Amino acid sequence: MTEVDLDELMENLAQCRRCGICRNAVYEDKGFDGVCPVWKNSAGFETSFMRGRIQVALALLEGRLEKTEENAESLFSCTLCGNCTSICAAEFDPAKCLESVREILNKIPNEVRDTIAKKILENNNPYVDENKTRRDWVKEVGFDIPSTGEVLYFTGCTAGLKLPETAKATAKVLKAAGVDFTVLEEEPCCGSVMIRTGMVEEAKKNAENALKMIATSGAKTIVVTCAGCLKTLREDYKERFGLDIPEVLHVVEYLKPLIESGKLKLKKSADSKKITWHDPCHLGRALGVYEEPRDVLKAIPGVELVEMETNREAAMCCGSGGGLRSYDGDLAKKIAADRMNDAEEIEADIIATACPFCEHNLKDGADRIGSKIRVVDILDLLAENLK
Amino acid sequence: MEDGIVQKLIEIVGKEYVSTRKDVLLAYSTSASMSYDTVLPGAVVRPQTTEQVSEILKVANKHKILVTPRSGGSSLQGEVIPKEDALVIDLLRLTEIEIYPDLRSITVGAGIDFGKLDKFLNKHDLWLPVYPGSSLTATIAGNVAVNGSGFGSSQFGCIGELVLGLEVVLPNGEIIQTGSEANPNSPGPFLRYAFGPDLTGLFIGSLGVFGIITKVSLKIFKRMHQFDYNTYGFNTPQEAEKFVIQCKENEISTVWIAIYEGQILDFFLEMVGEEYGVPEHDWPPFTVSMVIGRIREDQLESDRVEAQRICVEEGGYVIGISELPKGEWDDRMLELARSSYVHGWHWRILYHHQTLSQWHKTIEEIWPIFDEFRVLGHTAGFQSGHSSYNYYPQIFFDPQDKEDENKARAAHKELVRRLFKTGAVPFKLAPYWVDGITEMEPYLELVKGLKEAIDPNRIMSPGVIPGIEGEN
Amino acid sequence: MDKKIIAELSKIVGDGYISTKQSELLAYSVSASMASNAVLPGAVVRPADSKQVSQILQVAAKYNIPVTPRSGGSSLQEEVIPEVDGLVVELLRLNDIKFHKELRSVTVGAGVTYGVLEKFLKEHNVFLPVYPESALVCTVAGNVAVNGAGPGSSLFGCTGELVLDVEAVLPDGRIITTGSEANPYASGPYQRYSFGPDITGLFIGSLGSFGIITKVSMKVFKRHKYYDHNTFGFETHEQAEQFMVDVKQNDINGVFTSLYEGPVLELFMDMIGEELGVPKYEWPFRTVSMTIGRVREDLLKSDAELAKKLCVKHGGHVIGISQLPYQEWNGRLWFFVRACYVHGWHWRTLYHHQTPTNAHRSVEEIRRVMDKYGFLGHTAGFASGHSSFNAYPHLYFDPQDLEDEQKIRDAHKELAKTLFKTGAVPFKMAPYWADAIEGMDNYMTFLELIKKTIDPKKLMNPRVLGGL
Repeated sequence: MTEVDLDELMENLAQCRRCGICRNAVYEDKGFDGVCPVWKNSAGFETSFMRGRIQVALALLEGRLEKTEENAESLFSCTLCGNCTSICAAEFDPAKCLESVREILNKIPNEVRDTIAKKILENNNPYVDENKTRRDWVKEVGFDIPSTGEVLYFTGCTAGLKLPETAKATAKVLKAAGVDFTVLEEEPCCGSVMIRTGMVEEAKKNAENALKMIATSGAKTIVVTCAGCLKTLREDYKERFGLDIPEVLHVVEYLKPLIESGKLKLKKSADSKKITWHDPCHLGRALGVYEEPRDVLKAIPGVELVEMETNREAAMCCGSGGGLRSYDGDLAKKIAADRMNDAEEIEADIIATACPFCEHNLKDGADRIGSKIRVVDILDLLAENLK
Repeated sequence: MEDGIVQKLIEIVGKEYVSTRKDVLLAYSTSASMSYDTVLPGAVVRPQTTEQVSEILKVANKHKILVTPRSGGSSLQGEVIPKEDALVIDLLRLTEIEIYPDLRSITVGAGIDFGKLDKFLNKHDLWLPVYPGSSLTATIAGNVAVNGSGFGSSQFGCIGELVLGLEVVLPNGEIIQTGSEANPNSPGPFLRYAFGPDLTGLFIGSLGVFGIITKVSLKIFKRMHQFDYNTYGFNTPQEAEKFVIQCKENEISTVWIAIYEGQILDFFLEMVGEEYGVPEHDWPPFTVSMVIGRIREDQLESDRVEAQRICVEEGGYVIGISELPKGEWDDRMLELARSSYVHGWHWRILYHHQTLSQWHKTIEEIWPIFDEFRVLGHTAGFQSGHSSYNYYPQIFFDPQDKEDENKARAAHKELVRRLFKTGAVPFKLAPYWVDGITEMEPYLELVKGLKEAIDPNRIMSPGVIPGIEGEN
Repeated sequence: MDKKIIAELSKIVGDGYISTKQSELLAYSVSASMASNAVLPGAVVRPADSKQVSQILQVAAKYNIPVTPRSGGSSLQEEVIPEVDGLVVELLRLNDIKFHKELRSVTVGAGVTYGVLEKFLKEHNVFLPVYPESALVCTVAGNVAVNGAGPGSSLFGCTGELVLDVEAVLPDGRIITTGSEANPYASGPYQRYSFGPDITGLFIGSLGSFGIITKVSMKVFKRHKYYDHNTFGFETHEQAEQFMVDVKQNDINGVFTSLYEGPVLELFMDMIGEELGVPKYEWPFRTVSMTIGRVREDLLKSDAELAKKLCVKHGGHVIGISQLPYQEWNGRLWFFVRACYVHGWHWRTLYHHQTPTNAHRSVEEIRRVMDKYGFLGHTAGFASGHSSFNAYPHLYFDPQDLEDEQKIRDAHKELAKTLFKTGAVPFKMAPYWADAIEGMDNYMTFLELIKKTIDPKKLMNPRVLGGL
């Protein structure tokens, strides 16, 4: 039983006129230079971008194409980055529709999808068996962090378990800004990847459980460093699941006023660097947060902010979202390598972003092309530049 | 498709670029053409070079496999719907661009679209001054194969008029180069008419039936930066028509002219008016929306004043609302698509060229059709060259209602017959033109003869130009 | 020619319009092409309309008679030299003119010359803005069949670019109309690209080998009212060539922009300068002579000013002598003819299109051949469109000296080869290009295929297009 209104979905999908603009449009005036990262970095058949995916979706839904794992592949080889939605001239949201299609068709076998969901439900994270290890970084920050308080720092699975440096950096910055914050003893998974891959029922179960766990902190405000968590907690929990959740902010949003008012003081870094900002899809296109992180970066003395060819609404995706990183890791890294090329092209020294998922993938992408550009979380930068 | 053939294709392009997967074939069974039956091809191949295309055609020709060349896939009249079990050749990987600044020309591979080319040329302060509605997805080569037009055509004509030469792979795999580049010593493309008969023309508008265009060489120009946007009101179609003719005659550099009936304009503005910031207005019976473009400011001023003079002379008045033409022009790479999608319907299109002084004839034919067949739609168009007007009327239907769709198809069929009798000509030759028209036997016979000679095995784009393939 | 055939042809055109008289055939054995061998045809026929042309071609097809269409007879590359015992179909009686005012176009029968058309169009304040040198003699249809250029081309391109459609009679007698008029309900010619492939193009430059053009429809334009004539001097060929490119790029309406080498211009001025009222001047290394035309005075002034600026920008100086371009333009129906005859010699021409920045390469090759074979001649040319330069070198010879003539024929052949190697393309596809063309096998094979398809019996002007 799903909550997707099939009729509405079909009506929406029918808005696709199959023009193909979602494939690789270059629209200089509006900042688009290419649209679909998968099409660009794969063999490039029709099914590798949204127009073809919609045709496959319609055929599966209408019974014109047999519901096999192979036939449904193109539904999952997409990061749901939404760049196609940004440029689509028709009146519907293709990326959102594809997400709904995954939900309706989630009975079609997909081992990767199912395994991740199982892991999250069992272990509260998609990575390891022992979830408690995601709090280990706290021991290394040099100060205590309580597990209850008004402001909850929710690290998210990837920061906690793959990029603990970012979690540490965030903690240090929050402390320097004079924020009394807490970190959960037992932190759940926000469940984003389950929603993106169509396991919505499971995600709802997880969400309800997650909220219980979050409630133990007594927090009135939740700050996150992961764009994926941000979108999920702020938007999906409320609108999709109808759940009540405290205010959710990205740390960058939270810190901006603190920087502006001088509560958080930043110093010039050792040598001035060219930094470019990679807009995470879930922070940018999904939630419209483009300028805050840039303002924060510009507030660091000595930083020269440069923009990649595509940025903001037209920013190319890093390649790891929508479950793609697990579904087709090689493709995800190819896309990341391509994004790193964008940074190379403008001779940036550092590429900063606000999503551990992006960072993790971009780092792999950098390795692929032997790039010397440093991939960092904006919090890492702030931590380095604390006065 | 036979395994043996698929193997041969793999040998040419590599395994990664051949597909016979069911989902891929399904995705290539359709295109942007609305209300066309889908047909599953047998395989799809994505070559990277002209040589690969040549090898592929040799295989297809030898085994008499039907071929559908395709790049953007944005064509609206079924041009790239394959035949059953046919081979679709996707040309999007042919992406070379070579610019010749002293020759004021450029050569692009079959996979280059207008948006990409425009960005490239902008860096050099140049442009290819014709923008079809599908600029963000259609390729130059594809547009030459159907012969399109769009924003800019009012001054520069349809795309065919800008072509300097073509590289074409013939059905038997032979590669030919037309225009001045036929001379292997030429420093680049500089003249279309070279070496006798204009062979370039044979492929313009050929819809793939004579071979595959792998490269196009085109004229490019210094980019215009001086623009004037204005709207002009008239009470009768004749006044509006005369105004447009006189603007052209008096050397006003109009890059966009659209004539709108009052009710059509209201309809459009309901959809995109706010988006383009067009203020509310009580539009007259006929509005001309016009953009003048020039290289020099003084030239623009001269044109602007002249346009106003002619407007008044022809009995009209200057409305003065610039947001409409500016919105149209600034968004020229997307506007036609946007305004066509925003109302929600799907549609059959019937583009054709009309003369300026017969502009009203198209309107006279279309409205009764809407009534008779109980369909909705619009009539819109733009001036497209020396003395033609490109109409792109749309007959709407609900994509989820088969009955509605059939009504639209029926209206479409009848409309083409009536339009032909007004003296209109196809903008791009589509099957329904050949079916709907009479009295053109000798002409079609000639094209048929050429087809038989150039493509004796009849493998290229079958059915796209009906009536030229002889008996099966 | 067989009496039976003559009788059949007679029935079509009437006795008065067919001839087999020796003297008549002799007159048709030559044309304006110099240093060409005369060939006696079997008969000459002068049809009145397309229908008669159609019937004639059907007879020719029936009896396998080669056909040479001809109108002005002013072509310079043996285009209308007949075949032995062949049939010359002379088209000068097809002289209808139909003006489509609101379509900004005109349809003319194959017998209408530029001079006649110019007079007609002047009444309506419009013009067909490309004038071949032979404008008083040659017909519009003929010029379309060879695809000519001349004054006006600098802005409007070659003749082919102005064609909207043709009515042509195919070798089997079928009559087709291309372009928008392929629709019999069309109000007239208004769009060349209609109904699929551009069939019109096949006939442009076809030299009669695909059939006989009986009508052509052309774009016409409002006549320019304001003109500027000026001359610009440069010390290097690059400067002059770049100037010409920049003129086009900056939307200056140079309707006729010609480029002269210093010595060549001196030669011209020696011959004709006084007649034209051009003041004496020590002409520089390169001179660009330009006529600008516009419908509005302010546009003209803007162009004229900018041209001067661009000249200086490219390192040149404004000479300021207007009489030369003035005469070029105002004598456009006649000037070249006069300039080409006044010295007394006959000549072979080798027109070709070159890229503007390679114009000097043509000069180099021509001078080289002139030195090698030891003859006189000139090199001159004009901008002929978007980015082409039409060079029309003349190789002089004494018409009463066969040895001299042979020298020129040999030089001509060699020159075609070397010019081809510079990347130039034939202005019109003449026989001597056939040997010069290398590395174009696929192209020529394809052209042959088209020819074979349209004219399987190979009766239509078999000698042209390199003798396909």
